Amino acid sequence: MSLTAGSRPDGTRPAAAVEEPTAALVPEAAPQKGAAHKVPWRVRLRRDRALILMTLPAIGLLVLFNYIPLLGNVVAFQDYDPYASSNGITAIFHSPWLGVEQFSRMVDDPLFWSAVKNTIVLFLLQLVLFFPIPIALALLINSVIRPRVRAVAQAIMYLPHFFSWVLVVTVFQQVFGGAGIIAQTLEDHGWSGFDLMTNADLFKFLVTAQSVWKDAGWGIIVFLAALAAVSTDLYEAAAMDGAGRWRRMWHVTLPALRPVIALLLVLRVGDALSVGFEQFLLQRDAVGVGASEVLDTYVWNMGIQNGDFSYAAAVGLVKGAIGVCLVLAANKFAHLLGEQGVYKK
Amino acid sequence: MSLNTQLIRSLKAPARPVWEEAPSRAGLSAKSGFLVLCCLGVLAPLWIVIVTSLSPKPVIDRAGGLVVLPQGITFVNYTELLSGGQVSRAILVSLGVTLVGTVFSMAVSVLAAYGLSRPGSLGHRFLLMALMATMFFGAGLIPTYLLVQSLGLTDTYLSLILPSAVSVFNILVLRGFFMGISPELTESARIDGAGDLRILLTIIMPLSRAVLAVISLFYAVGYWSAWFNASIYLTDQDMMPLQNVLIQLVQKNTATPTGLQQAVRTGELSTLGLQMAVMVLALIPVAVASPLVQRHFKKGMLTGAVKG
Amino acid sequence: MTPNSPSASAPSRRSFLASTAVAAAAVAGGVPLLTACGGSENKDREGTTSGKAADKLLPTFVASKFADPDIASKNGSAAGYTGKVELSALAASVAKPLGSGAPFKVMSPFWGSPPKADCAYYTALDKAAGTKVTWQNQDGNTYGQKLGAVLASSSIPDMVVVPIWELVGKISNAVTAKFMDLGPYLAGDKVKKYPNLAAIPSDSWKMGIFGGALRGIPMPTASATFNIAYYRKDVFDKKGYKVPTSPDEFMSWAKEATSAKAKVYAVGDMSWTAFNVFGVRPSGTLGWHIGDDGKLTYRIEQPEYLEALEWTRKLFAAGVVHPDDKARSGDAGQRFTAGKILMYNMDMSHWYGKTAEQAKSNPDFKIEAMDIFGSDGGDPQLWASQPANIWSLIRKGASKETVENALAAANFAAAPYGTKERMLVDYGVEGTHYTVKDGVPVKNDQGNQEVVNAWVMLAAPAPYFAHPDYPDVARKQVEWEQRMGAFMKKTSTYGMNIVEPTRYANLSSQFEQLEIDFVRGNKKLSDVQQAISTWKSSGGDKLRDWYKKLIDKNGSGN
Repeated sequence: MSLTAGSRPDGTRPAAAVEEPTAALVPEAAPQKGAAHKVPWRVRLRRDRALILMTLPAIGLLVLFNYIPLLGNVVAFQDYDPYASSNGITAIFHSPWLGVEQFSRMVDDPLFWSAVKNTIVLFLLQLVLFFPIPIALALLINSVIRPRVRAVAQAIMYLPHFFSWVLVVTVFQQVFGGAGIIAQTLEDHGWSGFDLMTNADLFKFLVTAQSVWKDAGWGIIVFLAALAAVSTDLYEAAAMDGAGRWRRMWHVTLPALRPVIALLLVLRVGDALSVGFEQFLLQRDAVGVGASEVLDTYVWNMGIQNGDFSYAAAVGLVKGAIGVCLVLAANKFAHLLGEQGVYKK
Repeated sequence: MSLNTQLIRSLKAPARPVWEEAPSRAGLSAKSGFLVLCCLGVLAPLWIVIVTSLSPKPVIDRAGGLVVLPQGITFVNYTELLSGGQVSRAILVSLGVTLVGTVFSMAVSVLAAYGLSRPGSLGHRFLLMALMATMFFGAGLIPTYLLVQSLGLTDTYLSLILPSAVSVFNILVLRGFFMGISPELTESARIDGAGDLRILLTIIMPLSRAVLAVISLFYAVGYWSAWFNASIYLTDQDMMPLQNVLIQLVQKNTATPTGLQQAVRTGELSTLGLQMAVMVLALIPVAVASPLVQRHFKKGMLTGAVKG
Repeated sequence: MTPNSPSASAPSRRSFLASTAVAAAAVAGGVPLLTACGGSENKDREGTTSGKAADKLLPTFVASKFADPDIASKNGSAAGYTGKVELSALAASVAKPLGSGAPFKVMSPFWGSPPKADCAYYTALDKAAGTKVTWQNQDGNTYGQKLGAVLASSSIPDMVVVPIWELVGKISNAVTAKFMDLGPYLAGDKVKKYPNLAAIPSDSWKMGIFGGALRGIPMPTASATFNIAYYRKDVFDKKGYKVPTSPDEFMSWAKEATSAKAKVYAVGDMSWTAFNVFGVRPSGTLGWHIGDDGKLTYRIEQPEYLEALEWTRKLFAAGVVHPDDKARSGDAGQRFTAGKILMYNMDMSHWYGKTAEQAKSNPDFKIEAMDIFGSDGGDPQLWASQPANIWSLIRKGASKETVENALAAANFAAAPYGTKERMLVDYGVEGTHYTVKDGVPVKNDQGNQEVVNAWVMLAAPAPYFAHPDYPDVARKQVEWEQRMGAFMKKTSTYGMNIVEPTRYANLSSQFEQLEIDFVRGNKKLSDVQQAISTWKSSGGDKLRDWYKKLIDKNGSGN
C-alpha cells in the first residue's frame, strides 16, 4: 500500500484505513507507525477536539453507571454485609476485610473448576458449530434476488430470537423429550426409551442446537448490513474479469465480511466465559450439575442465590480479567492476520 | 420508500443484473429447498405456540402441555390480556420509552463511534479501552441500585433509559462500519472546510444507512423487551412498561407459594394459553419492525458515492 | 450470550446482568454518603430467643370470640369452616377504625397484576381500617433482589413484608438491623388495643422475634402442614387402583399404572413424599434435632435421608416418573389435570385450587390426598412445620403515629373468619367486587382484578380453611391435617426463629441440587456420602456445637 493524496501534510491519516471491500480497488495508506506521536499533543488536541467531545456523552454515561458502581467490587476482598450500616455504601467500612480468601475459596472449589471446564468446552463447540451459521445464512439470503422471497425469509428467521428461553426449552422438551413427539412415534413402533433431554452426554450438543435455533437467524442481521455496503461495481468488475459465482463470493463477498467477522469473533472470544445463563439454569436439573454447570450459573448459585455478594464479586472479577486478556490476545491474533479487530495499534 | 412501493418495484424490475449468469436448476432448487427447510424449522414451533394461545382451556388441559392440532378456537387469552386500561397505558409507556431511548442511545452511540473511528487521534486508545472494559466487568445489583436511587432516578422513566443507554457492543459495530468508509469520501469535504460534525451528518451517516438501521433495531428491541430495570426501579404500577404488565398478567393464575392461601383461581383461563398469547404479542412488534429495517439491506448502496 | 448474537444490545444485556450474573456491593465515592455510620449490632443478630426470655416479649393471647369453627383445630391442624356464614349478620371485630389516617408506605411481594392505587378495593379497605396505605406491590418473583437492594439503601418503606424464603445470606441479619422492636406497642397487655393481633397464637408470635426483640407480625401457619401427594381419585376408582399404604405397594402400583404407550405415567417427582414417608426432617433450622440417643444431628445425617433418596431413585429408574418431570420441564399440576400423571407432590393450596379450576371444564375430575405411610407400611414419623413463614415488619425510626397506623392495618388484616373485616379483606365490597348466590359469595371480574394478595400479606388470623363454594374441600383438608398431625413430632428447634451465623449460611445449600441430581441418576451414592462428610468437616460439626449451645441456653423447642 502506498500513501495517497488524501494524507495530511503532517503525515497522519485523516480517517482510518481498514481492510475493507474497496481496498482492492482503491489503494489506501497505512498509518505510519509512530508518526502520530511526533506531533505535539497541543496540536493533536486542537485537531481532534471535536472527536473527543463527541465521545464524551457515552464516556460520561459509562463512568456514571458502570465505573462508579464498579468500585463496589472492592467487596471481593471482604466478607461484605450490605446491611452492616445505615446504607450499603457505608456498610463497606463496617465489613471485615479478608484479603484474597474469597479467591482461594474459589480455587479450592472443585465445582468451580468443573464449571470452568464446561464453559470452555461449550464455548469451543459454539464457536465451531454456531458462529459460522449466521454467516452462511446471510450469504444464502443475500444471494436470493427476489426481494419478496428475501424479505419473507428474513422476517421468519428473526422470530425465534424473541422467544424466551423457557419457551424454547419447553418446545424442545415437547419434541425431543421422553414423552415428546419423537419418543411417542418411536414407542408406537416398538422402540422405547428415547429421551434426548435428560442425556448428559449429548447435553452440550443439545444446548448448542437450541442456541442455533433461537439466535442464528437474528445473528445474520449484522452480516446482511455488511453485505449491503458492498458496491455492485465490484461484482460487475469481477464478472467482467470472468469470475464465476463462487469466485465472486470468495474474492468479493467474503473479503467484504472479513472485518465484521473479525470484530465479532474478537468480541466473542472476549466473552468466552459467558456461554449463557437462563438456558442452563432451566436445564441443569434434567442432566445434573456435572454436565450443565457453567460459570454464570455457578456465580448465580453460589453468590446471588445465597446472598454471598463478596464471593460473586470475586468470581466476577476473575472472569472479567480473563475476558480482557482473551480479547487482547484475540485482537493481537487478528492483527497478525492483517485484520483490524476491535482496535488498532 | 414504503414497503408497498418496494414490493411493487420488486415485481416489475428485472431483478438480476445483466452480468450475473443464470443460476443452475440444481443450485436454485438446493438453495430454495434449504431456505424452505430453515423457515419450516422456525414456523413449526411457532405454529404450536399460536395454536396453544388460541385453544380453549379444556383442550390445553387435555393436552397437558402445548397443543399441536387445533381443536376449537378462542380469543379469550388475547381479550383478557388486552382488556383493561392498564395494558393500553403500558403500551404507550413502552412505545414512549422505546422511542425516546432509541433516539437518545443512537445519538450518544453514533457520536462516540465516530469520535473513536480515527486511530491515532488524541486519547483514542485510552477512550476505546475505557469503553471496552465495561464489557467485561459487571457492577452488580446493589451498587447500581444505590446509585440510581442517590441520583433521584427511582420512580422516573429516566431510570429505564439512562443506566442502560450505552451499549459498547453497538458502538463497536457502528465504529467498525464507519471505519470501513473510504477516507476519500470525507477528505474533499474536509478540504472544503467542513467540520467533523458536518462530515458525520452529511457524509458518514447517509452512507451507513444499513448499519444505522441495524443498531437502531438492536436498541429498540432492547428497550422494548427490557423489564428488569422497571421491576427494580419503579414502584408506581401506573408507570410500568408493557413487558412487566404482561409478566404480571401471566402470573395471575400460577401456583402461589406456600403460605398464601388466598390464591385467586378463576378457573377460566389456562396459564399456558396466556403465556403463549404473550409470546405472540411480543412477536408482533418484530413482525412490524423487521420490514422497515430490511429495506436498508440492499446491495451496492455505496455505488454512486464512490464514483462521485 | 450466544456467540455473535446481537442480542447484546445495551438494555437487554444490562438488565440481564443485573438480574443474574455478577452482583457485587456498594457504591463508593461520587455519591453522597447519606447518613453517618449506624451502630453495629452484630452480636445480637444471631441466635434465637425462647423460653421465659421470649415469653416476656410476647403479646398476651386473647382468643377471638367470633364464628366458632365447624371443625376445631386438633393435632396442630388448621380450623375448618364448612357451614354457611350468614353474610348479612357479620359482626365487626373492632368497634371503630383504629387508624388515624396518617399515610404510610407498604412494600409487599405480589403475584399477578396489582390493581391501581386508587382502586375501589384499596379505598374501601382504607376507609374501614382508618388508614391511608400507599402500596408498593413488587413482583413476587424478583422480590428477593428488590428486598436486598432496598434494605441496603437508606430509604426503607414504613412497612415491609418479608417471606421466610427470602431470608438468605445476610438478609436475616438485616431484619434485625433495619426493623424496629414492636415490644413497646405489643408486649403483654399492650396488644389488647389490637384484638385481632392478640388472637394470633403465641407460637406464631414467637417466630416474630428477631435479634432478641419482637419485630415481625406473623402470618400463622398450621404446624400440621405437610407436603401432599395428590392422586386422581376419579382415575383410581375407574381403574380399580387401591391407594398404596407402603413403599413396596407404592412401587408395584406405580409400575402397573404406567403405560408409556398410552402416555400415562404413574407419578411426578415424589421426593417430598419420600422424605415424609421415611421421616426425614425439613431443611433449614428445623432440620436440627436431638434424637432419642441424645445426639444432635442435622437431617442429612439421618440414615433415613439416604433411604428416602434411594427409594425415589428407584422410582425414576423404574420409568414410572413422567419424562417431563425427570427433565423438570413444564408444570406437573397441568400434567396431573390432563391425566398424564396420576400422582404429584404439592402444597395444600392445590386441593382447593385444582378443584375450582377443573370444575367447569372437567366435571369428572376428583383430587384427593394420599395418607402418608411409614417406611415399613406402618405409621409415619412426621415433623411439625414452623408456625409462621411470612412477617410484616416496621422500619426503625418510624414515627409513633406511623407505627400505630401500620398496626391498625395489620389488625384489620388479621380479622378472624366470620367478621365484616375478613369479608372485606377476602372479597371486597358487595356489589362492586362480589355478588352473593345462594348464600355463597362469588367474585366478579373487578373482584378478581382488585381483591388479590395485598392486604392479606400484612397479617393473618390463626390458620383456618374455608371455601364457601366447596365446603367439602375445607372439611377434607382439615381432616387430612388432623389424621397426619397425629403422627407429628416437633424438632428440638421447633417454634424458634433461629438466625444462624452468616459464616454457615451457605453450608447446606448444595444439598437441594444434589438430591435432584442423585434421584435422577446424575450423581452417585458416593457423591452424596462424600458431600455429607465434607459438610461435617467444613463447618457442619462447628454448626452442631453452635446449635448445641443454643438449645442448652434456650431449651428445646419440643
